[in-house]
Amino acid sequence: MNFPFWDVPLIGGGMLIGIIAIVHVFVAYLAVGGGLYLVLTERKALRTGDTALLESVKRHSRFFVLVTLVFGAVTGVGIWWTIGLVSPSATSSLIHIFVWGWAIEWVFFLLEIVAAFCYYYGWNRLDSKTHQQIGWIYFVGAYMSLVVINGILAFMLTTGSWEPGDSFWKAYFNPSMFPSLLIRTGVCIAMAGVFALITGSSEGEPELRARVTKWAARWILAGMSIVPLAGLWYIASLPPLAREISMGGAPAVTLFAGMSIGLSLLILAAAFFGPFLFPKSFHVTGAFFIATLALSVTGVTEWVREAVRKPWVIYDEMYSNSVRKDEVARNRSGYIDQTKWALLSTEDRADPQKLGERMFRFQCQSCHTINGFNGIKPMVKGWRKDFLDYQLQHLDELKGFMPPFMGNDEERAALVEFLYNLNRPKEETLVFRHP
Amino acid sequence: MSSVIPNPDPIGLPAPAWLLQILLVLTFVLHLLAMNLLVGGVVMMGIAHRKGKSSPFYAKLAERLSMALPPSMAMTITLGIAPLLFLQVLFGQAFYTTSILMAWPWLAIIPLLIVSYYGLYIVQYRPEWLGNFRTAISWLSALIILFIGLLFTSNSVLIMDPSKWGPMYAQSDTGLRLEVASNGLWARYLHSIVAGFAISGLGLGWLARRYERDDAEWSREATVYGGKWFVNATLVNLVVGMWFLFSIPREIRMNFLGESMVDTGILWLGVLIALGAMHFAMKARVVPATLMAVATVALMAVSRHRLRAMFLDPDLDPTALKVSPQWDVFAVFVVLLLAGLVVVGWMLHKLAKGSENAASAPEG
Repeated sequence: MNFPFWDVPLIGGGMLIGIIAIVHVFVAYLAVGGGLYLVLTERKALRTGDTALLESVKRHSRFFVLVTLVFGAVTGVGIWWTIGLVSPSATSSLIHIFVWGWAIEWVFFLLEIVAAFCYYYGWNRLDSKTHQQIGWIYFVGAYMSLVVINGILAFMLTTGSWEPGDSFWKAYFNPSMFPSLLIRTGVCIAMAGVFALITGSSEGEPELRARVTKWAARWILAGMSIVPLAGLWYIASLPPLAREISMGGAPAVTLFAGMSIGLSLLILAAAFFGPFLFPKSFHVTGAFFIATLALSVTGVTEWVREAVRKPWVIYDEMYSNSVRKDEVARNRSGYIDQTKWALLSTEDRADPQKLGERMFRFQCQSCHTINGFNGIKPMVKGWRKDFLDYQLQHLDELKGFMPPFMGNDEERAALVEFLYNLNRPKEETLVFRHP
Repeated sequence: MSSVIPNPDPIGLPAPAWLLQILLVLTFVLHLLAMNLLVGGVVMMGIAHRKGKSSPFYAKLAERLSMALPPSMAMTITLGIAPLLFLQVLFGQAFYTTSILMAWPWLAIIPLLIVSYYGLYIVQYRPEWLGNFRTAISWLSALIILFIGLLFTSNSVLIMDPSKWGPMYAQSDTGLRLEVASNGLWARYLHSIVAGFAISGLGLGWLARRYERDDAEWSREATVYGGKWFVNATLVNLVVGMWFLFSIPREIRMNFLGESMVDTGILWLGVLIALGAMHFAMKARVVPATLMAVATVALMAVSRHRLRAMFLDPDLDPTALKVSPQWDVFAVFVVLLLAGLVVVGWMLHKLAKGSENAASAPEG
């Protein structure tokens, strides 16, 4: 680890990224798909001379701007903030490999923001042709920003045959880039429908409410219909280990992958039997129910995508604990020497407990807390020292989703000592106090 | 304790350091201008809300500012992304480290931004919800924005002082610390905030132009009022700037006081042009005043960049990093950027023309 490690108590850094990323992705899907929804609904209203629908789109666009430009945009920056704090080495790698990609993303983002303002402020100021053109510009900007970021995200899981020194394009057009883009495109369309259901079903006039609700439900059905095939293509593009983890290799991940499919089917059913078949009696509570399902499915799916990447943060390139593949050998002869931020005095280094604590912080804490999420203390409870040592020596063989232990014999012994003591001293005190 | 400085990223720079530094400073200037409009504008709106209870001029000022501020916020954030990207490429070794040292305050920027941003929107769209709280909410947004500025300054100052990093981490690895006692931090912070007051004065001059036809009297008055903000703030900033300059350790400061002709020239040319801008601002001539003020901001941003390089030399020198250029992708970026700017220009032009045709008061 090249940087200081930020200790996030209880939940751990990974969970922190997860929380921010999930709410962002949820709204970002709306920002992309909703752009298409706005401009196509505006066109539909103009072509059919439906002024009530046009007014409804206008109202929806304010809601859209307030949700996407503020919450969507700022939480997007928030992910960038958080990954830099939690995984600085991986962030630095992605920034260096893709800097012009990020710069291109920024251009589309700028276009998207300016277009959103012009579209929103332009309702009464621009002729309808120009207004629609700006709507299209918004959608293209938003969609292209998805295209760019999707390539980078996909790269983290499927680096393919890319090696350091290879071209940007090879990294960007990686094996899961297109299937993942197709899935996300479908989800964007569906999410536009989900949010349109919320504003649509809150319309006061019953006839208009039914029309918008049904129209929104069609978007959900259309978007979701893309997902299954795209999903199969996506799974086929994954590395074998990742596929294995999602299909039984790690029960929790398999469970979540199953939930992702189950919740998606539930959304499909809810949209079909609710607003699509019975738009007149559809209530805004139902819209929030579907939105909650959509948030949940976004959450579990993104979680699975992160989980199957283990033990890597950038597949086959950098382990979750920020050690590059080509650094493993060097670390085996002495990890702490390579860890500038261990900041151990010579005296402290000789103390196994202190050395072990540092080993744990820099090599394990990227995924494990002590007492909280994925907490190590309950996991190693009752383990004898020789068993701990055996586990550490064969970590990657025993647990496929973990990196190998990296360090020399002295460091491994220190980590064993630290892990062993996690459960020991407290129990002894306990017994001592309450005989 | 230079030994704690992380190793450079093995992948290397995607373009020569000079190009990335130009992009860093250029995009940072754009961010600064938007940020200045926001920081000054939000304080101006807070004052105007208060005074607006008895004066129609201020009441209109508050209302009109409330419509201009959310787009300024959007631009500040959007234009801030690019310089932060180039900063991470060039100075990532320092930037990631110092951000981790102040992790929670640094991360707090995100929710604080969201709260202040929605605060601005509520003031704009739903003043009737707020009633008498409108002034309070504008000030809340203003204070949050000013505090966010302090967090950015704190990180910028910490980046320049690697000797502090190790001891800070030894005290806390949970990222709860915020360094506000650094030498020169407050001078530097005030210098950039007061610059915001100045630039937003000129920004008001531009906003006033939109009301030239329909509310000529207010427009004239607002231009003069904005000019006063610029002149007074710039006068204050001459003093604050001196304080900032003399807070810099002598061996570095002397570069700006004759030892390096280039650095001395850049800094004092900036000061000189600011004096020229004051001259035009006093006469309420917004265009020449703005052009000169922008030139000053640009020169100051260059000085700021040079100052950081002096502090970090020789521990961290981006020009010494390995370079593996990606010219083809860079070319795509440049083409898209130019095309994007043309489209942005077209949209803004259409919207401006549309406002001339429609009634000038924009609908909410």
